[in-house]
Amino acid sequence: MSLSGYVVRRLLQAVPVALGVTILVFLLIHLVPGDPARTILGNQATAPRVALLRHEWGLDRPLPVQYEKFMGRLVHGDLGSSLFYGVNAGHLVLQRLPVTLWLIGLGALFSLLLAVPLAVIAATHRDRLADHVVRVVPLVGLGFPAFWLGIMLLLVFGLNLGRLFPVGGYGEGFFGHLHSMLLPALTVALGISPILVRSLRAGLLEVLESDYVTTARSKGLSERRVLVRHALRNAAVSTVSVLGVNIGFLVGGTLIVERVYALPGVGLLMINSIFERDFPVVQAVTLVFSLLVVLVYLLTDIAHALLDPRVRFE
Amino acid sequence: MHSRRRAIAFLVTAAAVAATGTVAALAAGTGHSSSAATPKRGGHITIARIEDSISFDKTNVFQNESIWIAEQINEPLYLAGNDGKTLRPWLATGYTASKDGKTYTFKLRPGVKFSNGKAMTSADVKFSIEDAQAQKKGWGYLDAAIKSIDAPNPSTVVFHLKFQWAPFLADIGLFANGIIPKDFAGQSRTAFYKHPIGTGPFMWDKRVVGQSVTLKRNPFYWQKGKPYLDSVTWTYVTDENTRELQLRGGQIQIDEFPPFNSITKLQNTGGVTMSLFPSTRTDYLDINESYPPLADVHVRRAISYAIDRKAIIKSVLFGHGQPANSFLPPQVPFYDASTPGLQYDIAKAKAELAKSKFKKGFKVTLLVGAGAQVDNATGQVLQASLKQIGIDVTFKTEDTSTAFQSIQTRKYQLAFSYWTMDIADPDELVTFSVDPAGGASSFYTGYNNPTVISLSHQAQRQSDPEKRAQLYSKIQKLAAQDAFQGFLYYSPYRWAYTSKLHGFLVQPLGNYHLEDAWLG
Repeated sequence: MSLSGYVVRRLLQAVPVALGVTILVFLLIHLVPGDPARTILGNQATAPRVALLRHEWGLDRPLPVQYEKFMGRLVHGDLGSSLFYGVNAGHLVLQRLPVTLWLIGLGALFSLLLAVPLAVIAATHRDRLADHVVRVVPLVGLGFPAFWLGIMLLLVFGLNLGRLFPVGGYGEGFFGHLHSMLLPALTVALGISPILVRSLRAGLLEVLESDYVTTARSKGLSERRVLVRHALRNAAVSTVSVLGVNIGFLVGGTLIVERVYALPGVGLLMINSIFERDFPVVQAVTLVFSLLVVLVYLLTDIAHALLDPRVRFE
Repeated sequence: MHSRRRAIAFLVTAAAVAATGTVAALAAGTGHSSSAATPKRGGHITIARIEDSISFDKTNVFQNESIWIAEQINEPLYLAGNDGKTLRPWLATGYTASKDGKTYTFKLRPGVKFSNGKAMTSADVKFSIEDAQAQKKGWGYLDAAIKSIDAPNPSTVVFHLKFQWAPFLADIGLFANGIIPKDFAGQSRTAFYKHPIGTGPFMWDKRVVGQSVTLKRNPFYWQKGKPYLDSVTWTYVTDENTRELQLRGGQIQIDEFPPFNSITKLQNTGGVTMSLFPSTRTDYLDINESYPPLADVHVRRAISYAIDRKAIIKSVLFGHGQPANSFLPPQVPFYDASTPGLQYDIAKAKAELAKSKFKKGFKVTLLVGAGAQVDNATGQVLQASLKQIGIDVTFKTEDTSTAFQSIQTRKYQLAFSYWTMDIADPDELVTFSVDPAGGASSFYTGYNNPTVISLSHQAQRQSDPEKRAQLYSKIQKLAAQDAFQGFLYYSPYRWAYTSKLHGFLVQPLGNYHLEDAWLG
C-alpha cells in the first residue's frame, strides 16, 4: 500500500473515533446529576427559563433526536454560549487554541532536542558513567510535578537570574510569544524527555547490535555516519510512538502548565470553566481536546509509516 | 461588596478564600502606601486578580471583580467615605431633605462631563436611577423606596420616596446607582454595557474576553489633574503563586488577595507593600432552626460559647483576624463594640447545654463545600470543640453550588457563610439577617424574634442618627443573646502591591478608587 493510501485509510479510521468523541461529549451533559438545564442556568433560574432552555436544547426529546440536534449545531460551529461570558463557546476555545498549540509544539520540539543527544550519549557509552548520569538525572524532571517545576523555573529564570524571561503571560507578536513560551515549553519537555531518552536509548542499543550496523561499520563508515544514517532512524520508530502517546497525554496535561505560567490557553480555560460551572465551554474544550488527541495519534501513525515502510503493509 | 447572593457564602472555594475584611486594629502596622509626596502623572499599572469579570452592567452584576472595574467608569451622586461609614457628596454637591423625610433634592456638581465629552445633567441622573430601579433581578430592590424622580432643571434632581427611608442616601451611593448618559447614549442597553460610558476617572479601552480588561484615562474627568495613571489593566491569573511571582518580577503592580499564609512573607519582601485594609467581611456559622435541637436557644448559645475563635483565626487566618462579637462588623455604621457576643468558654457552653432539652448532647451535620479548604479547616476546630460538650459533628460534603442551594433551601443543619457590605448603612445586612421576610429567612437560619424584627423596621424609618444607633445596639445585643448564628471572625482585605504605587486605598466596602493612585 502506498503512503497516500495508508494516510487515507487512517483518516477513514479516525472518523468513527471522532464520532465516538462527539457522542461522549454529547452525553457529558447527561452525566451531571440532576437536570442539565438547571445545572447550566444555576440556582437562581426560574422554572419557565429552565423549561425554555430544555426545549431550546431539545432536552425534552429522545436521546437520538437530541444527538442529531447537537451534531446539527456542531457542524455549524455552534457549541452553545458561554454562561460566564455570554459569547460563543467554540469561538472562546478557538481564540485560545494557538497558545496551547504553541505550548504543545514547542514542548515536543524541546523534548526531542533534549532527548536525542542524551540518548545517543547514553547508548554510545553503555554502562559507563555518562550512561548512568543520563539515565538517572532526567528522572528528576519526571519526578517533580509540573506545577513545582514551573514555579522553580520562574523563580530562577524569571526572577533571580536577571529576569531573563517573563513571569507568565503570552507576550506580543511572534518573538514575544516565543520568549514567553520558552519556560513553559521547557517545563513540558522536562516531563516528557526522560521517557523519550529511555525509549530511544533502548532502541539505539538494540539497533547498534544488529547485523546491518555491523555491516555498515565493516564497510568502514564512520561511527557518526553509522549512528545518524543507520541507527537513529530505525531506533526512532518506537520513540515516535512514545512521543505521540505523550503528546496526546500532554494535550490534557497543559492545564497545569498553563495555570502556573498564566498562559491564556485552552487548558486554563478548561480549569476556569470548571470552577465557574461554565458547562458549554467545558463541553467545547473537551471536544477540541479529544479531537486534538485523535489528530496527534493520526500524525504519529503517519510519522511511523514514514520511518518504517513495513507499517503500511500490515 | 459581595452581593446578598454571592456573599452568602458558601462559594468559598479555594479562590474565594480570598475576599476578606477586618477591623481597624488589624490595619495598624500594615497600612497602605503613603501619598504624602507629590503625585506624579503618567504610567500604567496591571492588577492581577483571582477571578475574571463577568459583566460591566453595574445594575445587574453581583460579582466584585466586575463591580470594582465598573466603579472606575461610573460614579454615583454620593459615595461612601474611606471609613466605610460616612457618605460624601460626589457627583452632587449636596442635598436637602423635607421635614417628613420623603423628598430629597440634590444639586448636581457643575462641570461634570461623561467620557464622551457631553455634560452630565439631571436628565441623565433621572434616567440612570430609574433604569437601576427597574432591574428587578439586579440591584433594583435597594431603590424600592423611590416613588418618582423629577428633573426640574439641568442641575437639580428631586427624589420622592414612598415612605421615610433612613438608608436612602447610602442606597443612592451604591455603585448600581452610578450615573450613565440618558438613553444609553443612543445605544441599546446590551451594547452600552459592553463599552460603558461614565463620568469616572477612567474610560473604556479594550477587553480580551477571559484574559484582561484595560481602561484608560478619562480626559474629561471632573477632578482636575486626576487620574494620575494613564491606564490600568486587570488581568486574570488564577494561580496565587504566579501572581506573587509576577508582582515580585515587576510584571504586575497589584496582587489581589494573596493567601493568608503568604502575608508575613510579603510583608518582608523588598519592593512590595502588603496591606491589610479594614473590611466589612464577617464569617458566620449558620444554625438552621428547622433541625429541632438547633431551635433550642440554649443549644445555640452552647454552640456559640464552644467556638474557639482564636484557634480558628490562628490556624486558618494565620493570626490575621479578630473574633466577632456581633453579626455586624466594626466598619459598619452603628456597630456596637459592647455587644455581648458569646465568646469561647467551654464551662459556659456545658452550662447552657445543661439548660436545654438535649442535655446529653446530640448528633449534627456540618455542611461544607467540596474543596473549600477554609471551611474544612474551620470545621475541624469546631468539631473538636463541640465534641467536648457532647455534640457530635459529622461533615457533609457537597459540591459548592449544590451546598449553596442546600443553604438557600435550608436543607442543612450547620454551615458556614460570610458577608461583605455593599452600602454604608447596616440596614441591608440587618434585614437580611434578622427579618424572616427580608428575602432569606433570616440568613437562611429561620431565626424569628418579633422584637428584633420590630426594632429593625423602626430603624429603617428613624432619621435621627442617635436614635438609630440605640435601635441597632438593641438589635445586636438581642441577636447575640439569641445566638441565631455563630459569629466567627472579622478579617481584612489583603492586597499586595509594588512599593512604587502610592495612593492605593481599599475601602471597607471592598472598592478602591484609582483616581488617587500614582507611580513613584
